[in-house]
Amino acid sequence: MSIQWVEQVLQLTVQMGTVYLLASLGEIYAERSGVLNLGLEGMMIMGAAISFIFSIAYGHLSAIFIAAIVGALMGFLLSILAVDMKLNQVVVGLALTLLGIGFSGFFTFPEIRKNILLRLNPSLPVEMLLTQQAEKLPEIPIPLFSDIPILGKMFFSHNVLVYFSLLLSIVMWLILFKTRIGLTIRSVGENPSMADSLGVNVYMVRKATTIISGAFASLAGAYFFIGFHPFWREGVTAGRGFIALALVILATWSPLRAILGAYLFGGVETFQYRLQLFGLGAQSPYFLAMLPYIMTMVTLIIISTESIKKKIGAPASLGIPYSREE
Amino acid sequence: MDELVSLKGIVKHFPGVLANDNVDFTLRWGEIHALLGENGAGKTTLMNILYGLYRPDGGEIYIEGRRVEISSPRDAIKLGVGMVHQNFKLIPSHTILENIILGLKEVGFIINYKKISEEIKKLAESYGWRINPNAYVWQLTAGEKQQVELLKLLYRDARILILDEPTSVLTPQECRILFQALRRMAREGKGIIFITHKLDEVFAISDRVTVMRKGKVVVTKETSKTDISELAQYMVGRPVLFIIEKKESKPSGEAIIIRNLKAFNDKGVPALKGVDLVVMKNEIVGVIGVTGNGQQELVEVIAGLRKASEGSILVDGINIVNSSPDKVIKLGVAYIPPEPLRYSIAPNLTLVDNLFMKAYRYKPYSNGILINWKKIYKKADELIKNFQIISPSLSTKAKSLSGGNLQRLILARELSGLIEDRIPRLIVAAYPTKGLDIGATEFVHKTLIEYSRKGSGILFISEDIEEALMISDRVAVMHDGRIVRMFKPGEVDIEKIGLMMGGVRVASTI
Amino acid sequence: MMVVDVAKTLTIPYTIKIQRRLYYSRRLSILTTFSAVIIAFGIAGLFFTIIGLNPLEVYSYIVGVFASTTLLLESFKRAIPIGLAALGLSIAFRMNFWNIGAEGQMYMGMLASTGIVLLHVCYGLIPTYFVLSLMILAAFFTGGLWCSLPAFLKAKMKVNEILTTLMMNYIAMYLVDFLIYGPWRDPKGYGFPLSVPFPEYSKLTIIFGEFAYGGLLLLCLTAVLVFTILKYTKLGFELKIVGESIETARYAGINLSKVVTVGGFVAGGIAGIGGLTIVSGIIGRLRPRASPGYGYTAIIVVLLSALNPWLIIPVSIFFGGLFVAGDILQATLRIPGAAVEMYQALIFLLIVIGEFMKRYKITITRRVVG
Repeated sequence: MSIQWVEQVLQLTVQMGTVYLLASLGEIYAERSGVLNLGLEGMMIMGAAISFIFSIAYGHLSAIFIAAIVGALMGFLLSILAVDMKLNQVVVGLALTLLGIGFSGFFTFPEIRKNILLRLNPSLPVEMLLTQQAEKLPEIPIPLFSDIPILGKMFFSHNVLVYFSLLLSIVMWLILFKTRIGLTIRSVGENPSMADSLGVNVYMVRKATTIISGAFASLAGAYFFIGFHPFWREGVTAGRGFIALALVILATWSPLRAILGAYLFGGVETFQYRLQLFGLGAQSPYFLAMLPYIMTMVTLIIISTESIKKKIGAPASLGIPYSREE
Repeated sequence: MDELVSLKGIVKHFPGVLANDNVDFTLRWGEIHALLGENGAGKTTLMNILYGLYRPDGGEIYIEGRRVEISSPRDAIKLGVGMVHQNFKLIPSHTILENIILGLKEVGFIINYKKISEEIKKLAESYGWRINPNAYVWQLTAGEKQQVELLKLLYRDARILILDEPTSVLTPQECRILFQALRRMAREGKGIIFITHKLDEVFAISDRVTVMRKGKVVVTKETSKTDISELAQYMVGRPVLFIIEKKESKPSGEAIIIRNLKAFNDKGVPALKGVDLVVMKNEIVGVIGVTGNGQQELVEVIAGLRKASEGSILVDGINIVNSSPDKVIKLGVAYIPPEPLRYSIAPNLTLVDNLFMKAYRYKPYSNGILINWKKIYKKADELIKNFQIISPSLSTKAKSLSGGNLQRLILARELSGLIEDRIPRLIVAAYPTKGLDIGATEFVHKTLIEYSRKGSGILFISEDIEEALMISDRVAVMHDGRIVRMFKPGEVDIEKIGLMMGGVRVASTI
Repeated sequence: MMVVDVAKTLTIPYTIKIQRRLYYSRRLSILTTFSAVIIAFGIAGLFFTIIGLNPLEVYSYIVGVFASTTLLLESFKRAIPIGLAALGLSIAFRMNFWNIGAEGQMYMGMLASTGIVLLHVCYGLIPTYFVLSLMILAAFFTGGLWCSLPAFLKAKMKVNEILTTLMMNYIAMYLVDFLIYGPWRDPKGYGFPLSVPFPEYSKLTIIFGEFAYGGLLLLCLTAVLVFTILKYTKLGFELKIVGESIETARYAGINLSKVVTVGGFVAGGIAGIGGLTIVSGIIGRLRPRASPGYGYTAIIVVLLSALNPWLIIPVSIFFGGLFVAGDILQATLRIPGAAVEMYQALIFLLIVIGEFMKRYKITITRRVVG
């Protein structure tokens, strides 16, 4: 148990946690405006798949960019189904998740990957066409800061997406609580008819936030793959999208608290593997794995008690489609 | 132009009723104009049209001399019209400031909390209010919430303010603060329309008063040039009474004894402030009064659907206050809620399901775990015949039935003694004839009278004084959470009834 | 008539009005469902072409599953856990309880039945002829408990059941992982995370020695049970009313907490038995990730069957067939099993959209810009 060990664990914690953080940031905005995006898992895994293919074909920049676009498109599809057509958000969200998992599963097969890669970039060398892994995003330690013991490794020795996620959380928090746009989003989620009567375009707001949640979920998937674990496997995200949903609740819909929650979950995951190495019995990791979900259940119960509900609760119209009755 | 607002010839239909019948209404600058009338008079409808919630079927709206079309509250707000409803449209988990500035583009990208907070504070002070703009709305009292609603409009420079029964949620002290504020607003040149049914308020605050009845404007007068009894007369009119053939009732024992009943409404404001009421078996007691004076809460407490904070309700010697609805049903209390489709009818379930919604768990319709559908269908046939329910089949979904048939269904369910094979001890009916045509209304009256003869006590809430006088053995006037007066039809004349409903104390004439 | 101006949000020069239809004919219903399935085929086919596969080949395999007896039997096998879970869901959804936790309840059922087998095989605590029945009881009970907790929380505290049941899924899965990687690992299993193999008499192979028939019988019996509960019991009636509206249920004197909790218990219990059929019938022992998402498929099945227990059986067989087709495609054409999930999701989505089309009429008119 040396300082090095602690530093490593913390660094990994942040790296694991970033997946959850990115996904939950977008979802926080969507849920704050009243839309429940159960398609997070599907969008996340699509992001991972897209980043896999495109990082091989064109490189990291295109991978991130295209992943975000695909995620935004999925978010857009969800917005049409849930906001315009006012279909049941649970049902369409689950359908989109299955769709995403299904689509991405295709990329597991080498022939299919080969076909696609060749079409994208005919000049790729053969080994690239058949590889199961991609190049990982480079780590960019921030000079000076990264030398600080413990904290340096924890916050300042990561790839660009991790830094981005931290900055993003702060910016999104500021927007949500200090700007007019943020107030509008929050109000749409609490009382859409009031917002509507005061001139707010409820539909527009909800569509925008849904698109954002899709893009970020996909970005999270892209980060997970090229930023953290660039080995493709079917179902590689293993339910992390749903964990992000849980995280949003644990963070009580606040981007800053999401950082804490994301790293908490990330830490738990990191410990799973560490403990295994310690030979603390191969079983223990599974108990720890349950922890995030149990924590979320407890949070759900606590925020449902009357006294707390008034102060920090779910946005009042979460999951309820809005229609202005004639 | 002389007038701030001018409504000309407004017509509005709803299915089955003419809510506004060629209504003319004007509002001057700097005027507080009271809009007086009973329920169903059409005042809220008229104001909802001005606020853009409804579109008129006919007529014109002029604001500051210009003809305007108001198709939604957004348009209304842009034109400077604002309305404060009885149900506040606020976000409890946000601060006062956040509620007020929502949707305002002038606020800019980053909210300057300090500056806006100062502005709001000053604005509030100019009307005599002291608020902390950073307080959360859920912490506020009803009066303070109302101030926030008004500030929402004032911050947007609303020049025309409509208040719908604003004092129904206020304490007397809060009323005074409100009236002071309104006077200041009027002095600034704003026009205020004040919907009320309370006669004393008209004289406390208004410059002019318009009385509406049954969709028409009865009169518009300067408040200084009229008095309370004249207004009461205008409000209730001089109806011709239809006398129904009914024999003298011989009450035999109490069906229900209510003592000092107190309860809160959904907003946490006291709705029942000490109700004392006795209904005898074989008797029909009609409760009249403007809606919103506690009638709904009273029937809900009796039915076990609302908690009482104090008091007792004795049925057959047992105190049913705060019992579960199940127990109350078992003791023989039938409840016919207002507005059938809200919760007394399950629209997507069949006729039969609805008929046996309460009785399914009692013998002989079920035993242990299973339901005996054969017996149920047989009884259902009987009920349909007895209560003349018209429907294509027993398995028709309830939502396809007309209002009249739905009411017959409910009557059949509640009255026909499905539970333990005896007729109810007490029948509580809230506005059972609302929205029904003449035929259906007559049926309801006939049925209630029939059951009172059979031995049930009937507590009957009505908005229509004529109706109540017609079929009740005794009439109770309810105002502000209490029973103000009980009398037999014919003992008290109409104007006095109107006064009582308007909250004025009337000495009993003996 | 609800009129929604969708175009205002999409800012295009057309006005898209969505109006509720006053009625729709049966023909329209069938037409929309049918077109949904066809369109799903079409979109999937497009996708296959893009990635370099021949859609017709793919479809021939899918259809082939239903044409061959062996494969059909295999479809029945898969259909059983799916159908059982769906039957449980039909009770839950009836009262508007969005039970996303069928997957977890199945895992708990698996866990319980494995536990009984272990008690018998390793400790000899249970006589042979009791084993199967105890397994069924235990699976029902644990699955039931697993669902009744979120149900109780919803009834008493209005806690959102979508998230609680979802969380319980993961807790259950990891619980099984914990046990199977740990104390329940077969010591003779060469270190693989598998439980001891289940003895023959615990495998529902009563009819013709083949699980498919015994399981199908179980499925049909359960459908009868569920139908009876829904139509002929007090609970079923109460569930109907609670599903309509909570206020109406209170008004009718129904004890909400009791009904919702008991309903949840039954729903979870049936799903638990579904789990039993997986370990006992399909695999023959417990292993991690024993269910490839049957609990989630069950949600699709029950919604497509409109909560009707009789429709659930054929729809489950269809989806079971899709799973089998997925396996075959994986083995022969080298298409990942994920194709099945994608296809499931497509059909589902399109049918949901079809439902919407049924109820609403969309008119597009040119808008005067200005």
